Amino acid sequence: MIEIGITGTNTITFPYLEVWDWRIVLYLFLGGLSAGMLVMCSIANLRIPKQPVEELAQCVRAPLIAFIVLAVGALFIIFDLGSPFNLIWGYLTFQPLSLMSWGTWGVPIVLFANALYILAVIPKDQRHRLKFSFLIKISEKLALKMRPIAKLNFALGIFLGIYTGVLLSSFSAIPLWNNATLPILFLISALSSGAAMIVIIAKKAEIKFLFTKIDIWLIVAELVVIALFFYGLYTSTAPYKKAIEPFFSLTSEHFIFTVALIAIFLLLPLALRIKLGELKEFQNEVHEEFTKAQIFRMNFAAVLVIAGTLILRAAIVYAGQLTKLSPY
Amino acid sequence: MSITRRNFLKIAAATGGLAIAGTSTVTSVLGLGKKPVSLPQYIPTTCEMCFWRCGVIAKVVDGKVVKLDGNPLHPNSRGKLCARGHGGIGLLYDPDRLKTPLINTGARGEAKFKKASWDEALGFVADKMQKIKEKYGAESIALLTHGTISTYFMHLLQAFGSPNFAMPSFALCRGARGVAFELTFGEDVGNPERLDIQNSKVVVLIGSHLGENAHNSQCQEFAEAVGKDATVIVVDPRFSTAAGKAKYWLPIKPATDLALLLSWINVIINEGLYDKEYVAKYTSGFNEVAMAVKEYTPEWAEKETDIPSSLIVDTARVIGKNRPHVLIHPGRHTAWYSDNVQRQRAVAILTALLGAYGRPGGIYLSPKKKLEPVFLSDKDYPEPQKPALNKGDYPFAGEEGVTHVIVKATLTEQPYPIKGWFITGTNIMKAMPNQRDTLSAIQKLELLVAVDMMPYDGVMLADVVLPECTYLERHDDLFTVKERAFGISIRQPVVQPMYDSKPGWWIAKELGKRLGLEDYFPWNTFEDFLKMKCETWGIDYSELVKKGYISFPESEAPYITSDNQPKFKTPSGKIELYSKELKEKGFDPVPKYTKHKQPPEGWFRLIYGRAPVHTFSRTTNNPSLWELMKENTAWVNAKVAKKMGLKNEDYIVLINQDGVKSNKVRIKVTERIREDCIYLVHGFSSTSKLLHRAYLRGADDQQLITKYDIDPISGSVGMRVNFVKISKEV
Amino acid sequence: MPKYVMVIDVERCIGCMACVIACKKENNVADGYFRTRVVEEVRGEFPYLKMELRSELCNHCENAPCIDACPTRASHRAKDGTVQIDKKKCIGCKACILACPYDARYSTPEGVADKCTFCEHRIKEGKKPACVETCLGKSRIFGDLDDPNSEVSQLLKKHDAAVRLEFAGTKPRVFYINKKFAGGL
Repeated sequence: MIEIGITGTNTITFPYLEVWDWRIVLYLFLGGLSAGMLVMCSIANLRIPKQPVEELAQCVRAPLIAFIVLAVGALFIIFDLGSPFNLIWGYLTFQPLSLMSWGTWGVPIVLFANALYILAVIPKDQRHRLKFSFLIKISEKLALKMRPIAKLNFALGIFLGIYTGVLLSSFSAIPLWNNATLPILFLISALSSGAAMIVIIAKKAEIKFLFTKIDIWLIVAELVVIALFFYGLYTSTAPYKKAIEPFFSLTSEHFIFTVALIAIFLLLPLALRIKLGELKEFQNEVHEEFTKAQIFRMNFAAVLVIAGTLILRAAIVYAGQLTKLSPY
Repeated sequence: MSITRRNFLKIAAATGGLAIAGTSTVTSVLGLGKKPVSLPQYIPTTCEMCFWRCGVIAKVVDGKVVKLDGNPLHPNSRGKLCARGHGGIGLLYDPDRLKTPLINTGARGEAKFKKASWDEALGFVADKMQKIKEKYGAESIALLTHGTISTYFMHLLQAFGSPNFAMPSFALCRGARGVAFELTFGEDVGNPERLDIQNSKVVVLIGSHLGENAHNSQCQEFAEAVGKDATVIVVDPRFSTAAGKAKYWLPIKPATDLALLLSWINVIINEGLYDKEYVAKYTSGFNEVAMAVKEYTPEWAEKETDIPSSLIVDTARVIGKNRPHVLIHPGRHTAWYSDNVQRQRAVAILTALLGAYGRPGGIYLSPKKKLEPVFLSDKDYPEPQKPALNKGDYPFAGEEGVTHVIVKATLTEQPYPIKGWFITGTNIMKAMPNQRDTLSAIQKLELLVAVDMMPYDGVMLADVVLPECTYLERHDDLFTVKERAFGISIRQPVVQPMYDSKPGWWIAKELGKRLGLEDYFPWNTFEDFLKMKCETWGIDYSELVKKGYISFPESEAPYITSDNQPKFKTPSGKIELYSKELKEKGFDPVPKYTKHKQPPEGWFRLIYGRAPVHTFSRTTNNPSLWELMKENTAWVNAKVAKKMGLKNEDYIVLINQDGVKSNKVRIKVTERIREDCIYLVHGFSSTSKLLHRAYLRGADDQQLITKYDIDPISGSVGMRVNFVKISKEV
Repeated sequence: MPKYVMVIDVERCIGCMACVIACKKENNVADGYFRTRVVEEVRGEFPYLKMELRSELCNHCENAPCIDACPTRASHRAKDGTVQIDKKKCIGCKACILACPYDARYSTPEGVADKCTFCEHRIKEGKKPACVETCLGKSRIFGDLDDPNSEVSQLLKKHDAAVRLEFAGTKPRVFYINKKFAGGL
C-alpha cells in the first residue's frame, strides 16, 4: 500500500489537473469543424478541373459558415484566457515550439484566408449583399482567383485540423495526449465532421452524394485510428497505459469516459450504416430531388458524426487531465 | 563575479541578524517617477504561537506585518521559525478576533454578547468580584490560566487574596515529567527541555512525536541527529513522522510503556550495560532498582507490550552500548494514565543508569547564572483566609496548580465554594477532559471572565469577555531562557494594537485599579517595569530592544567535567533511583508495573496528538494555518477499515464508552496505526460559531475524553483511557 | 554566471511544513495557492513501513517544457539560469501549467501563471530562498553549483542524487538525496 499525503496543493493541479475546461473543448471542436469544412468545400470547388471560372464554385455557403464557426471557437479560447489583454505580447513574438503561439498567429491567418474564400465564391447574384462597393470590387477580382484561394484554404484547413490535435499532443507531461496518433485522429475527425456539416448545409444532391461517400471513408479511418490510439497507449509504459484507464473504468468516478467511448463507437458506426444505405440508393440513380425521408436520414447521420466528434474531443480533453507523468 | 557573491553571502550570513535588527526607522525613499517606496522595518520580539517562545524578527512595511523570521541570536529559533511561527501574521489579521469587550446578556454560556466599553466591562467585573469576596471570601475566585498573561492575572488574583490558580500545563501536560525528574534529579528538565539531541548517538522517543510536535530548536537538533546517522528508536502505537526516521519502530500496545521501560532497565542491568562508575558516583538505590526489575524480563514484557522480546533485547543493547550519548526523551504531554509519574520515573532512572544526565548526547546541565527575582510590585500579598485548594490532595502537585481540582471544588463546593472563574490564555473546553463537568461547574458560578484574543469555545461561556491583543502588539515580561547558555528575550509590540484590544498587563492593572489594588501595579506602562528590571539585572535595555535577545555565554556549562560537578537538589544530594520521598508518602519508591484496561472487542483506544501546523485549538481558525490543515482525520488501521467496509476519506462518527458522539470526521485509512487504536489530532471541531473557519471542522478528541484517570502522586491526569467505536451514520 | 540549484536531503525533513508557509508569506502568495509543498509518502504494510518526506517546488529545469509552451515569452530563462515568469506578458492560456510534469505552476486570481522563483529577490540580496532559510531540518540546501566549494556542490559530489521524473528529460535543478529510501520521485 502506498499512502500519499500532500501539504500545500493547488486545486488547479491536485488531485488532478483542472486547467482546461469546456471552453477549450468547444475551441478544439469548432476549430476542427471549421477546418474540415474548409478542406471539404475546397475539394468540392476544385474537383472538376478546367471548368469556366464563373461556374466553378459549387459549395458557396460552407466558407461563410466555416468562418463563423472558427470565429466563435476563437472567442471561446479568448474567454478561457486569464489575461486576454496581454494578448498583444503574442503578436510581438513567434515561438515556434509553442503551439499556443502557432494558434495565436494561425487562427487569424486562417480567418483571413477564409474571408478571401468567402468573397471569391460568393455568387454574382448575391454580391449586392456585401453592401460596400469596395468589397464587391474585391469579390469580383477574387472570383477569378478562386482556384488558388481554394487550394490555400485546403492547406490551411489541414493545418488547422492538425493544429487542434498537436496543441494537445505537445504536452509531454500529459500521457493521454502526448502521442503522434492524436493529431491524426483529430484531423480525421475534423475532416469527417466537416464533411458531415457540408452534407447538412448542401442543397445540391450531387454535393450531398459526394460528401456522403467521402465521409464513409473518413468514418472508417477514424474508427481505425481511435482503436490504434488506445492500442498504442495500452502497449506503452506505465503512465501511458494508466492514461487510458478512465475509458475502461466502471467506477462511478470515471464511468462517464466509458460512456463517452461507447457513445462514439455507437454513433459513428450508426452514421456509417446510414450512409452506406444512402449510397446504395444513390448508386442506382442520382436524384435531382430528395424525398423528405432521405434528407432526414442524411442529416441525421451527419448530426451523429458531429456529435461523435464533439464527444471525442471533450472526452480526450477531460480524461487527459486525470493522469499525469508523476504518480500523484 | 561569483567570488564576490560568495563573499557577500558569507558576510551576510555572519552579520545578517545584527544588521537586520539594527534598522529601526521607517524611511520613505522617493524613486524617480515612482510611487514612494516604504523601507521595511525589522523589529525583534518573542513568539507566542506555541510555548517554545522563539525569538522572532518581524518585517513591518507601512505598519503592516508582512513576514516573520526566526531571530538568529535566539537559541530557541536559531534563525528559523516553524509553520506556526510564520503563521503569526494569520493570528494578527484574523477577522474573527475579539475586537471589543463583550458582556453576555443571556443565560450563562449563552453567548448573547453585547459590545461594551472597557470602563463598563471592567467596572462590571470589579463589582462582581467585590460581591463574591464579601459573600464567600476572596479565595472563592479561581484562575485557569496559561501563557504569559498568567504573570499579570496570578499577580492580580494573589493581590486580591486568592491563591487558587491552576495551569493546564501541569496536570494536563508536563506535570508528571516534572515531578518524576524532580524526585530523581532534584530538578525538572526545563522548558524547553535541556536535551542535547544534536550530539546523541541514540534517540529514544517514547510517546513523543517530534516533528509533528514542531518544537523549533528541538526539531532542528533532531534533524541534525538524524543527519548524523544517530539510531532513532520510536515507541508509538502509530507510525509517526519521527518513526519514519527510526531504525526501530516499536508499535507498542498502548498503556504498556512502563513494561517496556522496566524490561529495558532489566536487560541493561543484567548485561552490565549501565555506566557503573557514574552510577556509583552520582546515584543512590541501584541495588533496590536491580532487585525490583528482576521480574520484568523481555519475555514478560513481550506479552504485555506486543513487542517481540528479541526486539526489546536488541534495542536495549543499542541503547546500552551507546551510553552515555543516549537521549531517552522525557516527553512533554505525559498525561496518559494513572501512573504517569512512575512511568516518567522509569525514564529518569534509565537516563541515570546510562550516565546520560550531564553528558554529551543526553540531558545537559542548567546554565550557571542566578538573577535576583524582580517582582511586579514589592508589596506583599495579603495572607489568604482559607487554605489554597489548587493542589488538591496530591502530595507532589506542582506550583502551577491542578485544573481538575478547581473544577471539582466548584462543582461540589468543597472544601469551600468557588464562585468566580477567570480564564486567561487557555481554551478550557479543549484543554480539560470531561467537558460535561466543566459545563456543570460553570453553572455554579456567579462570575466567569475570559481574557483572550479569539472567541474560543471557552470564551463563549463567559459573562464578560476582555479582548487581549496579540503577542505582536504588546509588551510582556522578559523571558529568561535556560538553553545551554542563559539568556534574556524580550517581547515588544511590532505594530499598534488593532481594534479595541489591550495588552494583558493593562487589563490586569486597570482591573486592579477598580479593585483598589493600584499599589500592586506601581508602574505606568509595562515598558517602565521592563526598564527597571533590566536596570536591576544590569542589562542594557536599548540593546535588548534592538537585538531581541541577550545571551550570557559564560553561564554555559552543559557537561559534567572534573571542575563542573553536578549538584542534585534531592534529599540525598544524589540521583535518587530509589525515592525515599515517594516511600514516605506511601508510593512505590521504585516504579512497579500497573496493568491498565484494554479496549474490548469492537472498541478502540482513542489516542491523540499534534500536527506540526497547529497549536492545540489555538490556531485552527488562523487563516494562514487553517489553509495548511483545515480539519483533522480519524486514523483507522487499513485492515480494520476493510473489515468494516470503510473507504479512505469517508465521513464517520466516533462514539465513546459513555455514548458521547463526535462531530463527523473523515477517516484516514492507514497502515500507520495499530488495529486497536484510533488517532485524532487534538484541538479540532470548535463549537464557537464566531470562529468561522474552525467551527465544527473535524472531530474533537477532548469531547470524547469524558473519562480520566488521576495519578495520585502528582494529580496528573490520564486522558488515554477512553474507548471509542466507529459509526458510519453521520 | 551562477548555476543555482537546490538540494533536498530527504532524510533531514521532519515535515514541519515551515517552508510551505514561509514561502507564502515571503512572496505574498494569494490564499489557497502554494508554490511549494511537502509530500509524505509511506509504503509497506503494518508494521513494516517506510516513509519519505519530500519537499517539492519548481525544478527550474534546464530543459523547461513550460518555456517551450509559452506563446509570449512570459515564461523565460532569466540571466541567472532560473526559470521566471514575466507577469506583464502572461496571457493566462495555462499551457505552461499543463506542460509542467511537476505541477509546479498554478493560475493566480489575477489570471496569470505563477510559481516558485527560487526567491529571486532574496538571492539578489545575497540571502537564501525563504524556504531554505527557515527549514528546521536543514533539509533544503541552496547554492551555486558552479562554485566547487559551495555546500550544494559538495553534497552532490558526495551523494548519488536523484531528480524527479528523470525520464521526462527536463534536467531539473532540484536534486534529492536519500541514502535509505527513495520513494516515487
